[in-house]
Amino acid sequence: MSNLPASTYLSGCAPLFLLLLLHLAFARPLFPLPSKTKNEEKRPIQTFRPYNIAHRGSNGEIPEETADAYLRAIEEGADFVETDILASKDGALICFHDVTLDDTTDIAKHKEFANRRRTYEVEWFNVTGWFVVDFTLEELKRLRVKQRFSFRDQQYNGMFSIITFEEFISIALDADRTVGIYPEIKDPVFINKHVRWADGKKFEDKFVDTLLKYGYKGQYMSDNWMKQPLFIQSFAPTSIVHVSKLIDSPKVFLIDDISVRTQDTNQSYWEITSDDYLAYIGKYVVGLGPWKDTIVPAAENYLMPPSDLVARAHAHNLQVHPYTYRNENQFLHFNFHQDPYAEYDFWINTVGVDGMFTDFTGTLHRYQELTSPHRKDETANSLLVKISQMISAYEGI
Amino acid sequence: MPSLTGHISIIVLVLLFVESRASQGAPPGSQLDVNHKKPLQTFRPYNIAHRGSNGELPEETEAAYLRAIEEGADFIETDILSSKDGHLVCFHDVTLDATTDVANRTEFADRKRTYEVQGENMTGWFVVDFTLKELKSLRVKQRFSFRDQRYNGKYQIITFEEFILIALYAERIVGIYPEIKNPVFINQHVKWSNGKKFEDKFVETLLKYGYKGEYMSGDWLKQPLFIQSFAPTSLIYISNMTKSPKVFLIDDTTIPTQDTNQSYYEITSNAYLAFIRNYVIGIGPWKDTIVPPKDNYLGQPTDLVARAHALNLQVHPYTFRNENSYLHFNFHQDPYVEYEYWLNEIGVDGLFTDFTGSLHKYQEWTTPYPKKKKNAEALLHEIANMLKDDGYGA
Repeated sequence: MSNLPASTYLSGCAPLFLLLLLHLAFARPLFPLPSKTKNEEKRPIQTFRPYNIAHRGSNGEIPEETADAYLRAIEEGADFVETDILASKDGALICFHDVTLDDTTDIAKHKEFANRRRTYEVEWFNVTGWFVVDFTLEELKRLRVKQRFSFRDQQYNGMFSIITFEEFISIALDADRTVGIYPEIKDPVFINKHVRWADGKKFEDKFVDTLLKYGYKGQYMSDNWMKQPLFIQSFAPTSIVHVSKLIDSPKVFLIDDISVRTQDTNQSYWEITSDDYLAYIGKYVVGLGPWKDTIVPAAENYLMPPSDLVARAHAHNLQVHPYTYRNENQFLHFNFHQDPYAEYDFWINTVGVDGMFTDFTGTLHRYQELTSPHRKDETANSLLVKISQMISAYEGI
Repeated sequence: MPSLTGHISIIVLVLLFVESRASQGAPPGSQLDVNHKKPLQTFRPYNIAHRGSNGELPEETEAAYLRAIEEGADFIETDILSSKDGHLVCFHDVTLDATTDVANRTEFADRKRTYEVQGENMTGWFVVDFTLKELKSLRVKQRFSFRDQRYNGKYQIITFEEFILIALYAERIVGIYPEIKNPVFINQHVKWSNGKKFEDKFVETLLKYGYKGEYMSGDWLKQPLFIQSFAPTSLIYISNMTKSPKVFLIDDTTIPTQDTNQSYYEITSNAYLAFIRNYVIGIGPWKDTIVPPKDNYLGQPTDLVARAHALNLQVHPYTFRNENSYLHFNFHQDPYVEYEYWLNEIGVDGLFTDFTGSLHKYQEWTTPYPKKKKNAEALLHEIANMLKDDGYGA
């Protein structure tokens, strides 16, 4: 601040005051809020290296599928934020992984719900607990989420509530760079058995309706897709086939462990990973999402020879996005020496996958930034240009 | 790639650069030929392989040290104790129970004892009650149940001399970081001829293999060495016998020194640090005393590192481990985040790690070459690496 007398200062600032008044008059914010930034102005998602898919958000650090877990994942550099969509009793689509509330909420503390414990059949097995489908959205919103694993940070327990599919989408769209979403049509057989919507619509229909409402559309790598990247995932092939008539966004077929049969078509792992089946499902999906221990099986916590699933998938022009990568040493096979970066190195460089579902967005992002920060072909050129510029400057040319 | 042909002269320049570096790193005539081995890096904090690469292999075995060297260790670290017949061996605990199969050996069933060690009574099979031959008959096992068990029973305890030879036979310069371990206890239980003590035999071994020279001297760079101990009198005692750099280890805040019975607060006071600075070049504290944790989160850092650095003392904290049970939540179960914190925020000069490979990877990715040499040489390094990735040159 100068030492001019006040009058001089004020008169010198007159034009500034005018500008300020104009700003206020038009009520435009001086800086555009993130949600108002046009998509074209946002930094696009990277597509030159495998996708960093924040599995249930940054749930290694913060309770899964909460707004904070997703915000942390975006902060840490996720390409996609991933979620599981289930439905409440009154048909609201919510972000939640288990069909029961027992493991990740404080439901057991709510005396008003004590009598709502049930036993239902879920994907061929009986499960007992407090089921999401027996609670209205308002009731679900009364609960508080907790960290699933005892060995992870417990300090956020009881702080956050369950969010809806729409809230999840808003988090992605409000980010200040382009962040893709990766929602799952979760347990559709079970949901459709327990929840009914008006107008004869099914779970899958409401799922797609929500996406269309927020402008998600376009085939993989299309302009529309690049603005609002999206993968739809499901373990249920019939759900995938059903939604493919409703939306052209890319879909991914999830594959469970070798002992698990598909919930809708009752098919075995061997059937759905056969060449014939891959050719069939390849008409509806752009990729597969297998459990990583089926791609490279392990014995006594050491990797065994890999199966040929990735090679065959790639031969069918299908991407492979395995799940799930976790930092804790109990999840790391000994080949990796308790080093999650060694695991990422193996899967990206030796196996050659196209994306990874990780509980530790930050770690994968760090690994990728340290080892593949820019496109190979661009970098050599840009560095050579830099060198020749430096040489020219030095020689005074 | 059409655009590259326009820069063909630059490519030639780069390849020549890469070539010349390659010939500098040519394999030496003899592995003991210290003049032609790739030298020790001294531009970034030291990667000290704590008990070898013991995250992967049973601690203090030849295999653990070879793995550590393979993985890029600057120094391999060991604890020196003594057998009943006065041979110096690489072993951490005074008892054999936790890391060997002694409990399964019927021939030694009657050798369990109870002795006082640093003020506490301890029961077990004590190293000092076994001759070297008997120790060699045992087999080492992995200390922690959650680490790889498949090498259990394969390896023996090695001697100090065997450890030194592992370092000297490496294809590049690898430093050693031996500890004068439990000297009070050893000198109580083991006697040598000519009135020599444990510390004398320790230094004799080093001198025998040509270890000498002050820190960063020509001799030191050829055979890098740090001597470490928790016992200040041992370090002072040997200071007349060797000019090699020494490091004063500092235990948890509740543990007094075994020889002088001084508290943590005494030995980390400015006065004491100034005193010990006459004999050592650095301190080796337990990391949770430098930054005490609370509820598995980092608390406020103490000023120990700043005060040590003010006295020109290096700081080499112990011990860094990958397993999430050892990582405070600030690090999100990511060992590299822990390295980043200690190297960049706290600014230590070396790290004792159970996972040599992880620290090496972290350092290679974040500080592959000296910072001063930014700009031209750094860019040329990067180009050379990229060309290497694409299959050209070196």
